Amino acid sequence: MANITQLIDKQDVFEVVRDKIAVILADESAMQVQLATAAGKPDPSLWALKVYTERASPWDDAADGDIIVNVWFDTASVDEAASNTVRNQTMRGTFNIDVIGFGNSKPNGTGGHRPGDEVAALNAQRGLRLVRNIIMASSYTYLGLRTIVGQRMPQSITSFQPQLNSTPADHVVGARLALGVRYEEFSPQFEPAILQELGVRVERAEDGQVLAQLDYDYTP
Amino acid sequence: MNLRQLAEQDLAVTLEDSVFGFGWPVTLTDPQGVSANLTGQAHDISQIIDPDTGTAVSGRSCAFVIRQSSLAATGLGDPYGVPDSNSLPWLVSFESINGAPYTFKVEDSDADRVLGTRTLVLGVWNG
Repeated sequence: MANITQLIDKQDVFEVVRDKIAVILADESAMQVQLATAAGKPDPSLWALKVYTERASPWDDAADGDIIVNVWFDTASVDEAASNTVRNQTMRGTFNIDVIGFGNSKPNGTGGHRPGDEVAALNAQRGLRLVRNIIMASSYTYLGLRTIVGQRMPQSITSFQPQLNSTPADHVVGARLALGVRYEEFSPQFEPAILQELGVRVERAEDGQVLAQLDYDYTP
Repeated sequence: MNLRQLAEQDLAVTLEDSVFGFGWPVTLTDPQGVSANLTGQAHDISQIIDPDTGTAVSGRSCAFVIRQSSLAATGLGDPYGVPDSNSLPWLVSFESINGAPYTFKVEDSDADRVLGTRTLVLGVWNG
């Protein structure tokens, strides 16, 4: 017999945190493009990120200079000492923020060229720089979810050199910022049946003083 | 003429025949901008790359195979992957089977000195 009487129609906190990270990155990178434009930077698109969540299918339309960010939930473990077995569990989750930079070889305008492998690596690292600075900004100490997020801290930053036919691919470089987040997960709670309603009637004077309601013999 | 020499001679048919074989015209340009037209075999296909993040991206595997003796006849010298970013790389231009033109940078050059061919491993060039 089922005991849960309410519909589980909510996101778990790890889903909220993942989506919030993505929203923060999208909003702030757009703001960075706006700020770069206002500052008169020659190419404000250098501050742009294309942000996605939980993607695994191949990117087929990435262009030279694109930076793609994929936020996905990796693992979580329970901090049992800080958890409540009935109502809420304190989790330490890892959210991977993958940054993929693309770049093709091209002339550098001064008679030489910029190799595609270097362009892709610098693009990935520029994306990583933006991601780290945005997520670790003091404004996002609790990722904007203060009641449910207790801490966010980078766990590691890793670069990858992808292979193509057993040789390094020259136009794409991947990097990962693994972000550790401490958050609370909640679960449906038992709804008790009312056995007896308890209450107390308090008599108060006009000034709020609690009045005694005792009957006793008193001889002034 | 022994069999090895005969095999090199046969490259005119097996590698460079653009009428009845798989031969395909290519323009090779050295870092100084000097070009030569050659015929060889093109390889240009899409491939999936996993940048070790678990999320695949589409890549492109490109190469061109030319006959070493034909290359020597152009006087261009042997192409190689130019590491110095202060100079231009060796470039290779050829069309797809549907006539779309593409230019590639020579990433590295693998010579087969037994058979007399050279495989140019290519990367996309935004010229």
